[in-house]
Parts: sequence; C-alpha cells; structure tokens
Amino acid sequence: MSATTHAAASDETAALLQRCAGGDRAACRALYDRWSHRLYGIALRITRQPSLAADALHDAFLQIWQQAHRFDPERGSPEAWVVGMVRYRALDIVRRQAREIPGYEADDREDESPDALARLVSSAEGAALHRCLKELEADRRRLVVMAFVDGLSHSELAERLHVPLGTVKSWIRRSLLTLRGCLAS
Amino acid sequence: MSDQPDRDLLAAEYVLGSLEGDDRAEAERLLATDQAFARSVADWQQRLTPLAAHVAPVVPPADLWGRIEADIGSTGASVLPFRRRIRLWQTSTGVALAIAASLAAFIVLHQPELPRVAVMSPMAGGAPVLTATAERNGALIVRPTAAISVPSGKDLELWALAQGETRPRSLGVLPASGTRLVAQLAPDTQLLVSLEPKGGSPTGQPTGPVLYGGWLVTVEPPRG
Repeated sequence: MSATTHAAASDETAALLQRCAGGDRAACRALYDRWSHRLYGIALRITRQPSLAADALHDAFLQIWQQAHRFDPERGSPEAWVVGMVRYRALDIVRRQAREIPGYEADDREDESPDALARLVSSAEGAALHRCLKELEADRRRLVVMAFVDGLSHSELAERLHVPLGTVKSWIRRSLLTLRGCLAS
Repeated sequence: MSDQPDRDLLAAEYVLGSLEGDDRAEAERLLATDQAFARSVADWQQRLTPLAAHVAPVVPPADLWGRIEADIGSTGASVLPFRRRIRLWQTSTGVALAIAASLAAFIVLHQPELPRVAVMSPMAGGAPVLTATAERNGALIVRPTAAISVPSGKDLELWALAQGETRPRSLGVLPASGTRLVAQLAPDTQLLVSLEPKGGSPTGQPTGPVLYGGWLVTVEPPRG
C-alpha cells in the first residue's frame, strides 16, 4: 500500500468511527468488514485459539461501538486505536489463561521471517519504526517484535529465550528507550 | 517530575504487551486515572502499531458479526462486556474476600450494628482502595482506603449488582473522598465503581471501565 492510499484508508476508518460514535450500526458493520480479517489475525496470533480470538474480537467491537466517541484523531491514527482495542482484549484473555490454567504453555510456533520487517514500510510511521528497529541488535529486535506480535509476557519471553527474567526486562526497556530516541529524531 | 520517564517507559511496556501481574494492573489503573499516562499510551500505540503489519489477516468465524450485532442492538450495549469483566474479576476475588473477612471481624468488635462490609479492589488486582459498610438501617458508608485520583471531566460512579442480576443498579456518583447514602441491597451484592463522564453515566449503565469492585460480606458477630 502506498503512503497515499494508506492515508485515504485511514481517513475512511476515522469517518466510520465517527459515524459509529453517532450510533450508526451500518458504519460499525462497515468498520467490521474493513478490519475484521486483520484484527482477527492479530487476536489469533496472541490467543492462539480461535474461540478466544473470537471472544477478543467480539469484546473489541462492542468496546469500539461504545467508545468510538472517545477516539481522538489528535492523539493518534484510527488504525492504532482499533488495533489497540483488540490487542488489549486479547492480552487480557491470555494473561488470565496463563494464571488460571496450571501448566499452560505458549505455542511454540514462531515467525521469525525477516521479510516481516519489510512489510512494515507501508506507512510513514511504519517506515520510521523500520528504520529505528534496525538500530537494535537482532536479538533485541526479535524480543520487541515477539512481545508485540505474539503477546508474550516478560516471563514467557524469558522462558522462551532461556534468558533470566531481569535480563529480558532490561533488554526490553533499553530497546524501548532506543526506539523512543530514534523515533523522536 | 522525576518519575515521568519511568511512567513513559511503563506506558511503552504496556503497549508492547509484555507487562504482567502487578505492573500490568498498575498500568491499567494509571490509564484510567492519569491523563498524562493515557497520552503516553496513545503515543506509544502510534509508534508501535505498525508492528501489527507482521500478522497475516485471518477470516473470522462467519457468525461472529451476527453475535456482535445482537449485542450492540440491545439497548444495554454495555451489558455483555460488563458481565464478562465481572466474570474475569470474580476469578481473583479470593484475596479480597479474605481481607474483607478480616476487616469485618475488626469492625464487628467495635461496631456490632454493622452487618455487612465490602472491600473494593482494582478489577485488575492490587490493594483495596475503598471499603463500604452497609448498616441495618439501610445506610451505606463508602470510604477510600487509598488516595484516588479522578481525571478532570470524569466522575466515579457506584453500582450495585445483585447475585444473578446482569445489569447493575446505579447508587450515584461517588466522590473520591467517599460518601454516605441510603440503599436497600440484596444479601449477595457486589459493589462496583466505574469511571464515567462528569455527572455520571448518561445511559444508566456503566459506560466507562469498571475500576474497582468487591462483594458485600455479611458480618457474623464473634461468639463467646
């Protein structure tokens, strides 16, 4: 997607959110049609179970319906807002599962494809993030991507990478500080 | 403002999704109550969301929209997620009940006319922030046990949800300093506090996040 079509898609999502805030169910349906495949993919990647991913998407859309009026274009893009809705619901679900089901273990599937980084460059923010992620060492970069995309907690990351918990926390913090500095420049 | 950089980093970790336990609960609490933190979260969402492009789209179950539409079609659009939030929270009430029981014992020793008490803790877990005592004459006294900061333009609202009910009943706006009101409450009732627009929920049901909750526990006078 070029930067121009990306901006147009973003405007359309913002307009749908605005109509959704006004109680327009058709707009909410249009938002679902536009976003459900991407959002379900995101939820499924985090929850790793179709029924839980459906729960996350269900909750996210009810929340979008109720809270669309709170979307503030001054604070961020409609994509970031909508993706956030489903990610936090999915994370709520997996953090709870991890607590409630003894012996719960994260799926071992991993997507370490370096091509994934290239896919970022579809928007201005994506291009900037791509540039700044390259400032991180490869293993730190992988940690950041795994946390965001797979929804792995600090302790799950530590277990997965066979690194002490404190080390994971400190790597993530330093990586985020590096990203913040780089993205601000 | 020496804690601001740490707060911004906490916001970053929250958005990244790697927080767990108390740290995550603290971030959720700040998100609901601290506008600067909410801005940090929005900024980090903006920075990190392009990472979601890593994930391939997947077609959701065909009946999912129908289920969503059925829920947004009902007048109480907030009922289902609300109910689910309650369910989440009920899984972690054991500790709060234990605290309530110990507090109840303490209160009974001093004020035997107080038959029920609730200790309200953050839904995401953490230390209690409010206690409520229901007197036999129908008075309900709510007191904060910790400082509660309410964002400007917002109010806390107190709700009662009786066992088996799905829709909570508003007991009114709750000042952060506590309140005293009169309410007839069923024996098994949860008290809940949500964050609402100034003046309280415009819909008669919670519209904002449910921040705190606790069960009213009947106080048994100590024997002997």
